[in-house]
Amino acid sequence: MTDTLVYLAYAVTALGAAGIYVGMPREAKADRRGLFVIFVAAAAGMFCLVMHRILGDVANHVAFVILSLFALGGAGRMITHPKPVYSAVYFIIVILSTSAMLILAGAEFLGLVLVAVYAGAILVTYAFVIMLSQQSTMHSERFRNALDYDRATREPAWTVIAGFVLSATIAGMIVQRGWPSYDAVRAAAMSEHNTLRLGELLMTDMAVSVELAAILLLVAMVGAIAIARKRIPHDDTFEKRRPLGESGRTAAPY
Amino acid sequence: MALIRAIIKHPILSGLLAVTIGGIVVLTLIVAFLDQIKWVLSDQFWFSNILSLAIFGGIMTAVAYCILLERKISAWIQDRYGPNRVGPLGLLQPLADGVKLLLKEDITPGHVDKALFVLAPFMMFVVALIGFAVVPWGGTFRWPWMDADATPLVAQVASIDIAVIYLLAVGSMGVYGVVLGGWASNNKYAFYGAMRAAAQMISYEIPLGLVVLTAVITVGYLLPVDHAMDCLRLEGAVAAQAPHAASWTMWVVFYHPVAALLMFIAALAEANRAPFDLAEAEQELIGGFHTEYSAMKWAMFFLGEYAHMITSSAFMVCLFWGGYHLPYCTWLSTDESALAMLCRIGVIGAKIAIFIGAYMVVRWSLPRFRFDQLMRLAWKSLVPMGLVILAAQVLIVYYGWPQWISIVVNLGVLVLAAIASLTNAMPISGRQQSLLIKEKAAREKEYELQHAGV
Repeated sequence: MTDTLVYLAYAVTALGAAGIYVGMPREAKADRRGLFVIFVAAAAGMFCLVMHRILGDVANHVAFVILSLFALGGAGRMITHPKPVYSAVYFIIVILSTSAMLILAGAEFLGLVLVAVYAGAILVTYAFVIMLSQQSTMHSERFRNALDYDRATREPAWTVIAGFVLSATIAGMIVQRGWPSYDAVRAAAMSEHNTLRLGELLMTDMAVSVELAAILLLVAMVGAIAIARKRIPHDDTFEKRRPLGESGRTAAPY
Repeated sequence: MALIRAIIKHPILSGLLAVTIGGIVVLTLIVAFLDQIKWVLSDQFWFSNILSLAIFGGIMTAVAYCILLERKISAWIQDRYGPNRVGPLGLLQPLADGVKLLLKEDITPGHVDKALFVLAPFMMFVVALIGFAVVPWGGTFRWPWMDADATPLVAQVASIDIAVIYLLAVGSMGVYGVVLGGWASNNKYAFYGAMRAAAQMISYEIPLGLVVLTAVITVGYLLPVDHAMDCLRLEGAVAAQAPHAASWTMWVVFYHPVAALLMFIAALAEANRAPFDLAEAEQELIGGFHTEYSAMKWAMFFLGEYAHMITSSAFMVCLFWGGYHLPYCTWLSTDESALAMLCRIGVIGAKIAIFIGAYMVVRWSLPRFRFDQLMRLAWKSLVPMGLVILAAQVLIVYYGWPQWISIVVNLGVLVLAAIASLTNAMPISGRQQSLLIKEKAAREKEYELQHAGV
C-alpha cells in the first residue's frame, strides 16, 4: 500500500517536472503549450488519485484538494512565467491558497500570519524591486523587450532535475510516514485556542529564539538605514565633485 | 381594452401599475414562504450569508454617499455650494455619477500590461470589502419569533478567533492594487504614485500594528480572566468596553487617548488620504497610480478607497471607541431583542460616520506632507510613541498595576513628544538645510566683502 503510494508520489512529481521543463521560457519559437497542458493535467489527475488514496474519502476534502491544486499550479506557473512581475502575482496565489489550507486544518493564526508577512510585506518588497528594474511592456512585445535572462532559462534540464529530486524526496517521505488523519488533526486544533498555546510556547520554551530573531531583525534594520543613509555635505565640494552633465545644468537654488 | 391600453401607455400610471403588481407578488411570496423565511433568518449560517449581501449593498450605498458627503464638506470648507442640482439638495448626485461612470467608455490604453491593468482595481476593491466580514455590527440577538431560550444569533458575518490579525493581513494586501495598477499602466507618473503609496503603506503599518497591539493587550486586561483570549476577536474587544456598574464607561480611548490618536493618523496614511495622499498628488503626478484608468475601473479604485476608510473607521471604533456601546445605556448593551440589534447597528454606524466626517475635514483642512516629512513622522514620531505606550501597557499587565496608569503614560508621551519636537524643530529636509547654510555663508562672505574697506 505505502510502496505504491510512494511510487505514485514519484510519478506525480516526475509529471510535474516534465510539465515545468516543457513550460520553461526559451528562445525557440516552437509552441509547446499543448504538451505543457497535457503534462500538467496528467500531474493534477494523478495528484488527485494520490490524495484519494491518502485521505480516503475525497468528498470530504474537496476544498483541500482544490486549494492544493491551486497552490501547485500557481507555483508551476510562477517558475515558468517569463515575466518576473507575473511570477510575483502567481506567488501571491500560492500564498493565499496555502494560507487557506492552513485555516482549513485549524491553524488559523499561522495562515493569517503567512498572508500578513509573506503577501503583505515580503512579496510587496519583491514586487517593488522587480518593478523598479523592469518597465511593463505590451504583450506583443513581450519577447522583444524582455531581458535575456527572462527570455530563456539557462539550464532548464538541471534545474528541473534538482527540483525533481528535492520534491520527490519530500513527497515520498510525506507519503511513507504514518500521519494522523486530517480530521483528527483538525479536531485537535479546534479543541483549544491554538493562538493562545502558540503565544505561551513562544514566550516560555522558545523565548531565546524569539529574542534572537528580534535582535537579528533590529540589526538588519539598523544596517539597512546605515547603508541607505546619504549624507549631503554642507560645503561646496559636493557640487564640484559632481561630473558635468550628469543631472543637467545646475540651477541656482532660488 | 382601451382603458388598459391607455394605462399601459401612460408614463406614470404604467409605472404605478408595475410597482403595485411587483409589490403584490413580493408580498404574496413572503406570506407564502413565511415559515421558510423565518427559518432561514434564524439559522446562523444563512443569516450570515444574507447579512454579508446586505452589508455589501449597504456599504456600496454608503460609499456613494460618502463621495457626496466629501464634496459637500469640501464645499462647506471652501465656502461654495457643492453639488446641488441633481435631486433635492443634490442627493441624487451619487446615482448620476454612478450612471455616468458605468456608461463612460472604458479605455484600456495600448501601451499597458493588460492582464495586470484589469486585475489591479479588482484587487483593491475586493481587499477593501472583505474586511467587513469580521466587524461586529449588532451583537447577539433573537428574532421575535424565536424561543426565549434558543441560541441567540450573532449579527456579524464571521465571528473568527483572530479578527484583529485578519484585518491587519487583509489591510496589508491592499497595497497590491496600487502597486500593480501603477506598474501595469506603463506610465512614469503612475509608477511614481505607486512607489510612494507602497512605501507609505508599508511604513505606516508598523505604528498601526503597535497601536493595535496596545489596544488588544488592554482589552485582554479589561476582560474577565476566563474570557481574556477573546481579546483578538473584535466582538471581544467591544464586549470589554461595555458600560459597567463600576465605571460609567470603559472605552479603551479613555485609557489610551494618544494611542487612539496615533491609530487615527496611521489609518489616514493607510487609506492614502490627505494629508498623506502623496500617491495621487495632482500637482506633481497628474492622477498618481490611476492616471491611465477611466470609467468603471477608475471608479473601482475610488470605491476601494472609500470602503477602506469605512473598514479602518470600523476597526478604530471597535478597538478604541466602544463599538456599539454607549455610556449608561445598559439596555443597548445587554438586550437581546431584534430592536436592540438594529439600535446597535445604528450606533456603530453613527460612530463610523463621525470618523469618516473627521477624515474628510482633515483632508480639506491640512496641506499635503512632503515625502521626507511623511517618513520622519512615521519613523521618528509615531513608532517611538507607539513603542513607549506598548511597553507601558505590557508592564501594567505583567505587574497587575491599575489600568489608569496608562493615561498618565499617554499624556507623558504626548508631553515628551511635544518637548522633543519643539527643541529639535527641523521643518525642512536635509537638502534644503544644506542650501540654507550655504546661502547664509554666502551672505556673510558678501557682508565681509562690503565692509572690508571700512
